[in-house]
Amino acid sequence: MFIVDTDVHNYWSSAEVLLPYLEPYWRDFLVRGEKPGPTGSFPHGHRPWLHPEGFSRHDIRPQTEEDNYLIMKEKHLDLYGIDVAILTADEPLEASTLANYHYANALVKAYNDYMIEWWLPKDSRFKGSIIISPTDPHGAAAEIRRLGGHKAIVQVLASHGSQRPYGDPFYHPIYEACAEVGLPFAIHFGGQGGVNHNAVASGPTAYYWETHALLSQPAMTHVVSMISNGVFEKYPDLYFVVIECGVSWVPSLMWRLDANFKALRKETPWLKMLPSEYCRRNIRFSTQPLEQPQNVKHLWETLEHMDGQNTLLFASDYPHWDFDAPTNLHIPPAWREKVMGLNALEVYKRIEAPAATARVA
Amino acid sequence: MSAAATAPALTFACKTADVAVGKPRIVPYGRLSVGIFQLEDGYAALLNVCPHRAGQLCEGPISGTTRQTDKTEFVYERAGEIIRCAWHGWEFDIRSGKCLVDDKLKARTFPVHVDGDDIYLEMGR
Repeated sequence: MFIVDTDVHNYWSSAEVLLPYLEPYWRDFLVRGEKPGPTGSFPHGHRPWLHPEGFSRHDIRPQTEEDNYLIMKEKHLDLYGIDVAILTADEPLEASTLANYHYANALVKAYNDYMIEWWLPKDSRFKGSIIISPTDPHGAAAEIRRLGGHKAIVQVLASHGSQRPYGDPFYHPIYEACAEVGLPFAIHFGGQGGVNHNAVASGPTAYYWETHALLSQPAMTHVVSMISNGVFEKYPDLYFVVIECGVSWVPSLMWRLDANFKALRKETPWLKMLPSEYCRRNIRFSTQPLEQPQNVKHLWETLEHMDGQNTLLFASDYPHWDFDAPTNLHIPPAWREKVMGLNALEVYKRIEAPAATARVA
Repeated sequence: MSAAATAPALTFACKTADVAVGKPRIVPYGRLSVGIFQLEDGYAALLNVCPHRAGQLCEGPISGTTRQTDKTEFVYERAGEIIRCAWHGWEFDIRSGKCLVDDKLKARTFPVHVDGDDIYLEMGR
């Protein structure tokens, strides 16, 4: 089966891999400047929650920078027969938490160059994401235009932690650039700290596991905001991909949105379709971490209401602790081919379709 | 019935020197593997496949855990008796194989026999 894994984290052992890619001025920041941990830690405004066991699977133990690839190849890409792995970085997403948006831009720019030079040539299965810091939408747009033509780059990626809902016109320069270069805009769980202090509604929770269960909260806000602000009227071909934010909340949110819109459409006269229709047309959701009810049929029935067969994209989140293995993904068997790989071809146009398989219409 | 027919089939796993408290030994078991653990009072063996999502159960950290309490306090206990799956961190009792949160979820265990320096497992079928 053709498998596209839409969330593979290319780890590093030390953020100092970025040093050769930073301008000298910013290199000094990373060498001598304050960091949130020891040498090698990545600058970010820290989140209020510390994972009590660490984020990585405990059977992934790189000793060298090269191991980060070699272990991924052995324990993930080859083991499960992954055909395409979309690299989603890891710590670089946290640049969005820094108040100094110039530094944030320098860090993500260095990461993007490092990823293109160090990771992409290692394996023909790799596709890259341009990481942006949404704190400076014009800087982000310039980065998208700088690298958007690279044939192995398949999306633009930001943290789901942000200062405003992503549909806010403040961010539209990002979508204009995405539309111009023909790339989807994706958000990934993270960036919950520093200037992004609204990561959990009502204020920060106390424990990591409760926070993780609420990872859908900002995603809900962003989905609603992208639809209501008319992003998909302005950029009708733009795909918005929501990664690692859960999925079973989508149907109930769409039910509420559609009902409200029928009454109060006058607030947003630029919308031409029901909110759920924009969602179905323009938004895709990665599966991981797929909810785990006692009775899997309850999940499947829920996912039917969001047309999951066509709107879900498989993601493993390798090598994190909440990883979903492709062999253990509890989705309806009839959906498997589409969710595991074919749906991704519709979103990520630069991924080559397997010879034996036609692109999904 | 002969003694041979009732005696359990034993399979050599490893030497006692290969295992230490807090340092399990992973040995092959067909296409899978088994983790051999030394505890303060003996040995235990678990299939290296987590009943949750088939992760490498025995390659995670060995730890203790907090006792269930009636007030806000943290009583750390059972140090060295809990294996935390390498993938998702679910906690299992090394001796019984039972998941701490749901004891209906049980990792496969194997009886361990020690003969001198040798550790044998009762593999069953």
